[in-house]
Amino acid sequence: MKPSYQIISPTLGELVWHESPSDELLSMQLSYLTHIQSNYLSTLVEVRQGFTRLSLVWKNSSSQLEFIQLVETLNLVPESLPKKVWQVPVCYSSEYGQDLESFAAHKNLSPSEVIQLHTKPCYRIHFLGFLPGFFYLNGLSPTLHLPRKRVPSPYVPSGSVAIGGSQTGIYPSESPGGWHIIGKSPLTFFDSKKTPPVWAKPGEQIQFMSISSSQLENWQDEDSKNFLK
Amino acid sequence: MSPKQGKALFLCCPLGTSLQDEGRTLGAHYGIPRSGAMDLYSYQWANHLLQNSNEAAALEMAQPGLKIKFEEPCIVSLAGATAFVTVNQTPILNASIISIASGDILEIGAFRGGARLYLCIEGGFQDEKYLGSRSDFKSITTSSKRSAGETLYYLPIQNKAVLWVKPKWSTNWFESKEIQAYPGPDWRLLSTGQQRLLLKQLFHLSKFSNRMGIQLEELVANELEDLPTNPVFPGTVQLTPGGKIIVLMRDAGVTGGYPRILQLTEESQSRLAQKKAGDSITFHLLEPKFES
Repeated sequence: MKPSYQIISPTLGELVWHESPSDELLSMQLSYLTHIQSNYLSTLVEVRQGFTRLSLVWKNSSSQLEFIQLVETLNLVPESLPKKVWQVPVCYSSEYGQDLESFAAHKNLSPSEVIQLHTKPCYRIHFLGFLPGFFYLNGLSPTLHLPRKRVPSPYVPSGSVAIGGSQTGIYPSESPGGWHIIGKSPLTFFDSKKTPPVWAKPGEQIQFMSISSSQLENWQDEDSKNFLK
Repeated sequence: MSPKQGKALFLCCPLGTSLQDEGRTLGAHYGIPRSGAMDLYSYQWANHLLQNSNEAAALEMAQPGLKIKFEEPCIVSLAGATAFVTVNQTPILNASIISIASGDILEIGAFRGGARLYLCIEGGFQDEKYLGSRSDFKSITTSSKRSAGETLYYLPIQNKAVLWVKPKWSTNWFESKEIQAYPGPDWRLLSTGQQRLLLKQLFHLSKFSNRMGIQLEELVANELEDLPTNPVFPGTVQLTPGGKIIVLMRDAGVTGGYPRILQLTEESQSRLAQKKAGDSITFHLLEPKFES
């Protein structure tokens, strides 16, 4: 799982892996990320992580050149992934998941089968992107894969839990979006007044837990605290 | 806020007016975009005129109609789009550096050229920084844009000498159609025919343009497969399955799933930021060269 390095511009390049996203690949990426952050921080503007790339923005082109020569010689050991699993409560209902029924119908499943399949796995957080506080999760059951909507919805409420293609995720703030909305979580996923503004980090896991409409409607801050610890 | 600070009151504030600096690079791992001035080149020039530090916050305007009252004396500068500017309804010719007295009202009228105008103030507008930047962005700063009735604060005048400067500024640099770009990470997935088309065709900016991205009118047919979501940056050009070309700009999300076919140079990002719907551009491919 040794990455290659692709130069994009004199100050931008990426570490490239050709494997599909997996825990093993993430372990390797995080190992490279740690190495880069502890050795090159002063010459980097920023590092961004995706499913199969680590993108590096350099302060100048000579720093990038130096890195290219060194990266070949690196022999890093995969980093072990954290054990933390966050429980995320979700109310799956057509009231809060506007597409739950049509999604289930598309898949020839009942809504309760969808809920069962969605709450079963532990999803691995690979990185954050799209919106502040949006987790890219790996681990959705292939039975629940469904292409995104042809026409995105102009308004998806914050906390919406959705499925798009082979991925599932939670909208941390209201936004337009093309994924199928199957439920809503009462938790806050991004809060700029908190440090850090996001409570989970890449490598950790998320498991969804079904709650009722009345639990969602009567949700208190105190209830969130029980989950976010 | 200290009582010595000056206050600027928005009497009228058009849509698309926001506070911007060079943007933030400390938030990508939380999914926080870079943000910052769309046309960094003009923003930096307007700051330079006032001998401000690089990160002094300025107002970015994408439409005419700003009417702002300054309660204390200050020195402001303008760069980017050329506009009809008045102070207390008196037109200002060659508006670049303007001395403002207590109670003066500055108004920005019709843009004659360009699409984004920067209003800098000596010392920079004062507002809270978040992750090293004052750039407005929805859900992370108190406001995602500015509106009438709001106030911004600024420091007392430090350096009157800047008023002696007679700056020369031309907008020729953004009138050129040529947009320079490096091959993006997924450029090699395109066929030779698609690559040739991208570099030959005249493209027009569509009306679907904002701080997140600029969509072009002409389509480039493709059968590229969905790719794993990976990092994108301001200046990354994406090609959608429907053939749409989207040039990501300063507020774009930090990752994307569409093929990343080109990466614009910083200067071309600034140039593109000064283009309007209907303006035409051509892409010119660069090889990443290294200074020895």
